[in-house]
Amino acid sequence: MGEATAPARDRPGEVAGGQAVPVLEVRHLRKAYPLREGERLAIEDVTFEVARGELVCVVGPSGAGKTTLLRCLSGLMAPTSGEARFEGEPIRSVPQGVGVVFQDYSRSLFPWFTVEKNLELALKVRSMGKEARGERIAQVLAAVGLPEVGRRYPWQLSGGMQQRVAIARALSYQPELLFMDEPFASVDAQTRFELEDLVLRIQGAMPDVTVVFVTHDVDESVYLADRVVALSRPPATVEAIVEIDLPKPRDQIETRADPRFAALRGEVLELVTGRTRRA
Amino acid sequence: MTRSGVLRRVAVLAGSLWLFAGLVALWWVLSDHSRSPYFPPLRVILHRFDQLWLFSGESTGLDPSLVHLAIGYAIAAVAGVAVATVLYAVPLLREATSPVVYFLYVLPAPVLIPAALALFGIGATMSTAIIAFGCFWPILLNAVDGLRATDTLKLDTARTLGLSYPRTLWSVVLPGASPQMVAGLRAGLQVGIVLMVVSEEVGATNGIGNFIIQAQNNFAFTDMWTGILVLAIVGTALNVLFVGAERLALRWYYGARSVARAR
Amino acid sequence: MLVVLAALGLWQLLTATGALNRASFPTMWSTLRALGDQLTTSGFWTTIGQTVEGWALGLALGGTAAVLVGSAIGLSRLASRSTAPVIEFLKAVPSIAILPLAIVVLGTHLQMKLTLVGYAVFFPLVIQVVYGVRALDPTVADTATTLQVRGLRRFLVVVLPSAAPFIATGLRISAATALILEIVAELIGGAPGLGQRILLAENAGPTMFPLMYAFVLVTGILGIVLTGMFTLGERRVLHWHESQRNLRGATR
Repeated sequence: MGEATAPARDRPGEVAGGQAVPVLEVRHLRKAYPLREGERLAIEDVTFEVARGELVCVVGPSGAGKTTLLRCLSGLMAPTSGEARFEGEPIRSVPQGVGVVFQDYSRSLFPWFTVEKNLELALKVRSMGKEARGERIAQVLAAVGLPEVGRRYPWQLSGGMQQRVAIARALSYQPELLFMDEPFASVDAQTRFELEDLVLRIQGAMPDVTVVFVTHDVDESVYLADRVVALSRPPATVEAIVEIDLPKPRDQIETRADPRFAALRGEVLELVTGRTRRA
Repeated sequence: MTRSGVLRRVAVLAGSLWLFAGLVALWWVLSDHSRSPYFPPLRVILHRFDQLWLFSGESTGLDPSLVHLAIGYAIAAVAGVAVATVLYAVPLLREATSPVVYFLYVLPAPVLIPAALALFGIGATMSTAIIAFGCFWPILLNAVDGLRATDTLKLDTARTLGLSYPRTLWSVVLPGASPQMVAGLRAGLQVGIVLMVVSEEVGATNGIGNFIIQAQNNFAFTDMWTGILVLAIVGTALNVLFVGAERLALRWYYGARSVARAR
Repeated sequence: MLVVLAALGLWQLLTATGALNRASFPTMWSTLRALGDQLTTSGFWTTIGQTVEGWALGLALGGTAAVLVGSAIGLSRLASRSTAPVIEFLKAVPSIAILPLAIVVLGTHLQMKLTLVGYAVFFPLVIQVVYGVRALDPTVADTATTLQVRGLRRFLVVVLPSAAPFIATGLRISAATALILEIVAELIGGAPGLGQRILLAENAGPTMFPLMYAFVLVTGILGIVLTGMFTLGERRVLHWHESQRNLRGATR
């Protein structure tokens, strides 16, 4: 199984001599929802690690507890047992260095604020000065390809643009770790490709940002990831961790036409659907 | 605006107002030779209306009424939203008070006018107090409902952005609840107008309610009709003002809603 | 239940210790005793009956008229556009404004109460009915047309049920408004009922204040019962409607 000895990029300030501390460590995480009688097990046992600068996709069938997992990892919800660590510290609430992009952008952006104000909120909390805030907002909006929407309201934008704003907001305070929960499940196919490339571009431009991307779409996971964590059918366990050794930069047409892409896609698909169990 | 644009606007306006104008004209014509003391000609009512209420008006009955309403309503609005926020933040308190709150919300506020009369005597304090009391409950209950209906994903988002509790309350929960708060404020205004009139009819020495009851008792039916007209105009004007303010304050809400509908 | 007892206890405490002026605030105990005395008199039940009668008949009258007129208006675009300003204006006219007219013309009888309550119910409700009828889902309308559902049957089977959520909400709100206006009619118009008894008790001076508050309590309980019926009815009638599904979904 894929050990977390990812292609660790050298980084100053890491534990000397020892192995680098992973940005995210998940150990035997289990989550059960109490019911009136007994409980419903959403996640049985999930263990994996993510190194700095990696893009890891967590892929699993619908109802596999992916969102539950992400809520546990981002500190929105406590696991029943096991733990998740962010830079070595157990996650108890949402850490300062974590950003989250949710699937439902129309609910996650605040419709009563303009785009600018939506972005400004997290920066104010981090006591950034007014001028610096303005600069940063302009910078991240440009990074997601929306330089001129600051004064508009989110609902005046298309779905894809709204999700770009949500991404910009999560990036605005320069998190170490970015969680994305099925972020492109509610946009059309064309926009989806553009947004996938945006994520790859951002990751290329900010090599220190680690991304954990949850999706049910096998193609998407293979196209984006450095590694894919394949979840079983519910209750979730880690079926396998697949290294994606496709060359970078990736391209929607070329990469998807690569025979290696097809092979990896088939491998992950088998794992997720459980049609042919692999030893 | 182009000329055809102007014409179209006029046409739309005419299309929606012809019935209104027609009914007023009908009233004018039908009442013109009326000899019933109860239904004086509209011509006479308007003449008297001018004498009593317009620029050279003798009666200043409206001012105190509006002052009572404004003060009482403002108190109710501020207190209603503030108390609702506390009840939202402290669920235990909310559970504990909810039967009493519901009772006072359902209780038709005019029944308390005699009690207010006993408590405050005749005068401005009584009117203002009963207006504040009556408006408070619909504002409170709607605000609590709105606050409790806060979208959980927005709360999650606030947590991931690292917003503190007070800031989450101020920037996420309160704005999200504002459409329903406004609905409560509108319901409160309706109650307030009724209480303004009724409280003055029962226990005041001035105000529009007092004017109407005096006119009625003195069989001055034309005067009474002008009072009815004043109430109709005041009610409509307050309503228009409210809707205008609402459209302005909740521009984001109506904008987002019309976009959602179009999709 | 515990909360209600606690509230009553607090009332007793505040009045018995003199924290609240006893002259204008009777103790909980004396109020409940006054209420207890009333329960055995036939006049008490007659009074409640008079209030409920005015409320129910006024609501039925105004409600029926609103559904009929609203449907008629809603089915025609011209009619809804022409009548909208008139209805909006008359709705904004506080129903309290017509009370003096109703009193001088109709006296203190049941007709006066019904006119006032019916008027107060009619305008908000008729707007809801028009909205409801106009809001018929085009797909549903097209389906009905392809199924050859026409005329009265179309109205009863397609239009009215889809307007039902609007009408039910309007009725629930109207039920509360109707009770307020019913009380006002008794208070100001001097028609018999709870409002009149409250005013009479107040006029009789401090010794009768317990009785006044007893009637206030009764009015509140009546309000809970009458509006509660409509809330329950709304839920039962509209169990199929989305708004109810969302409601349940949201509380999960």
